Formats: sequence, C-alpha cells, structure tokens
Amino acid sequence: MFVVWLGQRLLLLLAVVFTAASLNFLLPKLAPKNPVETKLLQLTESGGALTDIKDLVRAYEEKFGLDKPLLTQYGNYLRSMARFDLGYSIAHYPARVIDLILRALPWTIGLLLTATFLAFGIGTVLGALIAWERGSRILGFLAPGVMVLAALPYYLLGLVLVYLFAFTWRLFPLQGGFSITAVPALTATFVLDVLRHSILPALSIVLASIGTWALAMRGMMITVQGEDYMAYAQANGLSAGRRFFSYGLRNALLPQVTALALQIGHLAAGAVLVERVFGYPGLGNLLFQAIEQSDYFVIYGVVFIIVLMIAGMMLLVDLLYPLLDPRVRPGGAG
Amino acid sequence: MSGVPLLEIAGLEVRYELVAGPVLAVRDVSLTLRPGQRLGLVGESGSGKTTVALAVMGLLRPPGHVAAGSIRLDGQELVGLHPAAHAAMRLSKVAYVPQGAMNSLNPVLRIGTSIGHALAAHGIRLSRAALDAKVAGLLDRVGLPGAVAARYPHELSGGMKQRVCIAIAISLGPRLIIADEPTSALDVVTQRQVMQTLRAAQEALGSAMILIGHDMGLMAQSVDSMAVMREGHLEEEGAAGAIFSRPAHPYTAELIRSVPVVGGPSKGSKVPDPGTEAQPLLAFEAAGKSYGGGLFGRGAIPALHPLSFSLPATAARIVAVVGQSGSGKTTLGNMALGFTPASTGSVRFAGQDVTGMRGAARLGFRRAVQAVFQDPYSAFNPFYRVGRSLMVPLLQLGVAADRAEARATMEIACRHVGLDPALLDRFAHELSGGQRQRLMVARALTLRPRLLVADEPVSMVDASLRAAILDLLVELRDRHRISILYITHDLATAYAVSDSVLVLHRGRVVEAGDPAEVFVSPAHPYTRLLIDCLPWPDPEHPWGNPVEEAALQREIKDAEGDPPVLRPGAGRLALQCPGLSISR
Repeated sequence: MFVVWLGQRLLLLLAVVFTAASLNFLLPKLAPKNPVETKLLQLTESGGALTDIKDLVRAYEEKFGLDKPLLTQYGNYLRSMARFDLGYSIAHYPARVIDLILRALPWTIGLLLTATFLAFGIGTVLGALIAWERGSRILGFLAPGVMVLAALPYYLLGLVLVYLFAFTWRLFPLQGGFSITAVPALTATFVLDVLRHSILPALSIVLASIGTWALAMRGMMITVQGEDYMAYAQANGLSAGRRFFSYGLRNALLPQVTALALQIGHLAAGAVLVERVFGYPGLGNLLFQAIEQSDYFVIYGVVFIIVLMIAGMMLLVDLLYPLLDPRVRPGGAG
Repeated sequence: MSGVPLLEIAGLEVRYELVAGPVLAVRDVSLTLRPGQRLGLVGESGSGKTTVALAVMGLLRPPGHVAAGSIRLDGQELVGLHPAAHAAMRLSKVAYVPQGAMNSLNPVLRIGTSIGHALAAHGIRLSRAALDAKVAGLLDRVGLPGAVAARYPHELSGGMKQRVCIAIAISLGPRLIIADEPTSALDVVTQRQVMQTLRAAQEALGSAMILIGHDMGLMAQSVDSMAVMREGHLEEEGAAGAIFSRPAHPYTAELIRSVPVVGGPSKGSKVPDPGTEAQPLLAFEAAGKSYGGGLFGRGAIPALHPLSFSLPATAARIVAVVGQSGSGKTTLGNMALGFTPASTGSVRFAGQDVTGMRGAARLGFRRAVQAVFQDPYSAFNPFYRVGRSLMVPLLQLGVAADRAEARATMEIACRHVGLDPALLDRFAHELSGGQRQRLMVARALTLRPRLLVADEPVSMVDASLRAAILDLLVELRDRHRISILYITHDLATAYAVSDSVLVLHRGRVVEAGDPAEVFVSPAHPYTRLLIDCLPWPDPEHPWGNPVEEAALQREIKDAEGDPPVLRPGAGRLALQCPGLSISR
C-alpha cells in the first residue's frame, strides 16, 4: 500500500519537473534578444573589432547548438537536464553552469532556509502565544505590530535596514556575502565575516515573514482552542504547558506545515529581490544577472534547480505530513 | 453506607458579568451527594445543569464566576480554591466524562498516550512497560481490548471513544464522577452498553456519580436520585423512584410525560389506504447502493442491499426507517433525495428517476422533496440572516413571484411551526437549537413539498421540543398532506408518529410492517435488541443485561441474509428484497 502510494508521488514529482523544465526551455525562446549577438556587441563596445560580427554570431550559435531546429534543441536540452549537464554559460564562457550554481547554492540555502525556518519557528510560537487562553496583556499588544510586519514586503524592509544599519550607522556591511579582502577558508575570521554579512538580509526576511506566520498561527490556535479535546484536557487536570504544546500547538501546527512547503517554493522567487538588494552572491543574484544577459543556459540551470528544490520540498512534506497527522496516513490503520 | 456527605453544594449562585448586565445562570442551588450515590441532574439546555458541574470542577470561564454559596467535596471548600489546587483535584478526585466523546480525544495522539498524559498530570511517573500494563488494565475494565492503546481516535467508533473517556475517568479512582450527557450522540444499543459500563465502573470504585442529561428514560434506568433544574433553579429533588411515580412539580411531570413510549399513544394516519395506484409518490425499484469496488475490484461494500418499496401518492404517510448507525438508513434517505445515486435499480419520484431529471423537472423535484437534517447548528449559512436561507429557494424555484410574496409565505410558515416571524431577521448564531430546527421545518414547509425526508430531526434537541417537532410532523401529514420518510435510531419516537416501519440492519431490511406490530411484538432478534435497549421512563422496567444481549447478537448473526420478516401492514409498502432468495 505504502509502496504504491510512494510510487504515485514519485511519478507526480517527475511530471512536475518535466513540465516545469519544458516551460523553462520555451519561455526564454520567446524573447526577441539573441544572446550571442548581445554578448558580442558588449565586447565590441569595450573595444573589440566590429568586423565579421555576423560570421562570429553564426560560429557561436553553431557551437552552442542554437542553429538547430527547435525540436532538436529541446531534445538535447532534456537529455542534458536528465544528466545534470547544464552546459556552459554564454556570458561567462567557459564557466560551466553547474559550477556557477554550485558556487551560489550554499549562500542561498544558508541564508534563505535558515531565515525561513527561524521566522517559521518564532512566528508560529509567537502566534500561538498571542492566541493562548486569550493571551497575556503584553502579547496582546504585540498583535498589531505583528500585523504591520506581515504587510511589509521583505525587499522593502531590506532597503530600510540597509539605509539605517549599514549606510547611516555603519554597523554592518552594505552588501556582499563576505569582504573583498577576506580569504575564503574555514577560519574563525572568515566565518565571522560571513555571519556579519548575512545578518541584515536574514533579519529582513525573518522580520518580514514572522508576522505572516504569527497571524496564521493565531487564527488556527483560536479555532483549536474551541475544540472539545482542549476542554477535556483541562477537565483532566493537564498542566497548561502540556495543553499548550501537545494539544493546542501540536494540532494548530498542521496547516502551518503545508504553508511552509509552499513558502519555500516562493522563497526562490523572493530570493532574487533580497539577494539583489544586498548584493548577496546566491542563486537569486545569479538568475537576475543571467536574465539581464539573456544567458539561456544559466537561466535553464537555475530554474531547473529551483524547480527540483520545490518539488523535492513538496515530496518531503507529503512524506512528513502523515507522521504529523495520523488521520491522513495512507492505507488507513497506522 | 455512611451518612457523611461526599459533596455538599449550598446556596450556589453562578453569575455571568456581561456588558448588558449580570446574568444569573444558577441561583440558590443546594445539593448533597453520599459516597456511592448516583444523582441525575436533569434539565433542558440553558437550565444551568452543566454550569453547576463546571463550578464543581472549577472550570467556569470568565465572565462566569461563583457569586455566592459553597461547594464542599470531602469536607474541603472548593469555592475560592487556588486554580492550581483545583486543577490537581480534577480527575484525581472529580473525574469528568464528556458529552462529545467524538471530539474529546486529541486526534494526533494514540489512545495510550492520551491516557498517559492524564496520569502524568497527576504525578504518576511510570516506566514504559508499567504504563503499558496500566493502560491495558484500564481499557480492560471498560471492555476494550488492550490493542486499542496503539490506535488513534479516528480509528475508533463513537462507543469505543466514550469507553476510553470512562477508562480515563476511573484511572485515579476518583471520589466523584461527573458524566455530562455521555451517551447523547450514540444509538440505543451503544448507549446501553456504554451506560452499563459506566455504572459498573462507578460501582466498582464506590464513588459517587452525577449524571447530567435531559432524557428521562435514561435517567430512570441509570440513577437512584434526581434533581430537576429549570432556568438556573432547582425545581425538585428526591429519590428517582418517588419522582417517577409521584412527581411533585408540574414541570417534572411534563418532562416524564413527554417521553414517547412504545405501546403508548401513537398518532398514525386516520386516512384509509388508497389501494393499488398506477403511479406511487416514491418508489424504490430494486434500488441499492454500494461503495468501493471499481477498477481495482477489491470488492464493493454494500451500504444498502437492493430493495423495493413505495409510498402512496393519494394518501400522506409517515414511514419510519430505523436502525443503528451504519445500518444504511441515511443512505436510503439520501437516495430518496437524489443526493446519492443508486448503484443498482432506480429510485422514482412520481414516476421519474430521481437522478435522471434535468432542467424544469429537476427543479420541480427539488421543490417537491424537502429535507430536515439532524444537526440544526450546521444547517444554516452563518454569514446570512436565516430569512435569506428560506427566501432563496422560494424565489429560485418560482414558488413566490417576488420578495414581498416570499416574505409573506415565510411568515405564515413561521407561525405554523410556532415561531415569531421576527426571528427571520436574525443570524443563525442568535437562535437556539430548537428555534433553528423549527426554522428547518418551516423552510421545508414554505415550498409546499409532497415528501419530506427527516433524518434524525429530534436526536439533538430537548425533550419538550422533541414532542413539539414530532407533533409538527404529524400535522404536516394530516393538514398539509405531506408524506414523510422519518429516519431515526429512536424506536419510541418512530412508534409514536409512523404509519409503517422498515427496520434496517447492516444494509438489509430485517422486519417491516405496522409499528404497533413491529415494535410491540418484535419478531426479528435485531428488532428485539433495539426494543430491549430503549431506556423506559420507569425505574422498575428492566433494561436488559450483557448476557441477554450476547444471546440476541448470536441470533442476529444466525439470521443474517434471511429474507425480511413481513408483519401485518407490510403489504402497504409493497416491500420486496430482490436478490435475497438468490444469495441464500
């Protein structure tokens, strides 16, 4: 029973990745720009010779396979995707796309995932506390503040933070993942330097998304507190702590987990803006530059990796959810 | 038995301080309870009976509070007790068996874990093995197998969940058990099992019990003294036997009288049978329903085995469909409403297949067949005034030409069901359960239907309202010539109002005929079991025991698959069960 269910989920995952990868191939083709020509024009502007540019374009197109019929290109594309061979960057030739991505990925995962989980944790507990048995006075006053935070987009909050902490008070660096002078190595100095650079972007994400988590959790927690099992737990003399965690929070958490999986999907898109604002060397920045330069293979590669990450997270939630909620366990009896 | 009281409530007054002014929920209530005594706290919704229990347990929610009086348990004063001290007494000294056992257990915890939490809350720290043994022992005491400990609540039936709650209640050997309508959501057979389990557990502990409820039949069979409450006040108190034989207060007498009894007065139709008709009003033609099966063919599960019966078109009739939960009675009702298409055979209304209709015919059918459901709380859209729920079908189905006419029709219907038409401008949450259920009937009435499908319309309402709604059903039949499919697990009410009865067991009709025949002298062992389980409003009437039930259950099993027992009057339904003679 479980094996059949798992097989279905994996097939679904494959279908999602395939569809997304196909769209990913077609969409940039609709853009009127020719990437090779763009690149060459850039070169000429910076002092190169203007002669024989048409021949050069043709030569490069041949090299990257851009002269072949669309269907052939599509076939080649799918084949290489399946082998994780993402090709070469046009803009940074001869850098391999996979290398560019692997260099950016740790920054994105380190910053965004950490910030998201942090915001999720703090926001969820905060929301639950605000709702708990009509809340204490202090937490009650927090609710409007939380609502304001929920309304702010995080790149905007990021700009404000940069202006205040980096530009005006100079407490943190303006941008980048680490100082230009730092030597990337696993030394205490470098790690501290990276941490110092990550605080502002992380703070902007955490602050801006705590509100959303807290509001959603508050609503769920109020609903859950009306359930019969909450009253019954109290009638059995269960301690407030036990009722809060094992009964209230535990049940109100279920929809939050679904939302978390969706949120991680949105992250990749939101990352572009945050990383852009802070000049952070992550996946979002890489994607932004690639789009600017019509660097098809990098776009393909980054989007493909993002799709894989989202689909993977969805599968993970599908697998985790039955552990959290026995009522949705496949095959009935658990 | 010692004369020292276990619980002494004196001059209790509970007030809710609302913005509009204080509301007295309980005033001047005094009660005493000896160890081992079973007290029935009787009253309708809003009478303050549950509020008294909450005060004893220290669970009144602000703005409610004890304004005056004292509550002494085992000599200890509970009014003004520190909340932590009160919490420590819950379960260990005062245990609570909840009303909604369906939802009282945390859905994400295994049963064993829930029981473990209750024990741990009172300082009982056990090793894994010792806890497992303790849980298994508790489950055994309420007649559940030890394997239940590893199950989740959604995997258990309502009766099993209620037993789990009883197991938790007795886990610390409390001095007092408060059971708040512990069986109100259960069918009669399960109700008797659970109630007998609760009594046995309470007697084994020697603790006292307060049973809160409004069902006088259940009280007569379960308690030895009673206290009757109305509007926050104690109207009468005394030994159960004395109260049932000579109620001192007219309200008590009214409550006892309002309990329908099998063999008592019944309100069958006086209109003679029309004889054979070319086209009956409603006809099941070898109609059956099964779920599952299909492509991967793991075998379909029958919810209702094929059956044929019909309701006459020229005379209005009330046909009762009775059985336990899972007997297929609600499936039958939904098929008549056209909500559930038949898997085999067909259901015809005035000659037309109820699932095959389109356009105007379908609208006509929707108008002619109306429904009243069990739960009046979830039947209204909370966003709109209730009047809107009544008006939409009137305009949609073309019964009323405009809003003014619709309004007039609605107001007439409201008066018919004994409601003030001003209630139409309220929201559902502003109405009581009884008012909502009357509105449901009014809604059905405005459309002047020919058939009403009433699925447990009185199982969630108070005794006095139950009588009023049953009277209303009879009036619909006699004055408005509306036929009714009355679906219920309560045989006493079915007896009181119906003209014919179908007894369903596991999707098959086991017995059918006139209610006076079927209910007064049941022929099939299953019908006998249902009758035996009815709690009579008479403490002297026997309520059966597990040994008798086991014997009947064996008989029922042996009779499974037999053709139904047709009693006098069954011919009127033209009942046939195709396939039965083939399968066995």
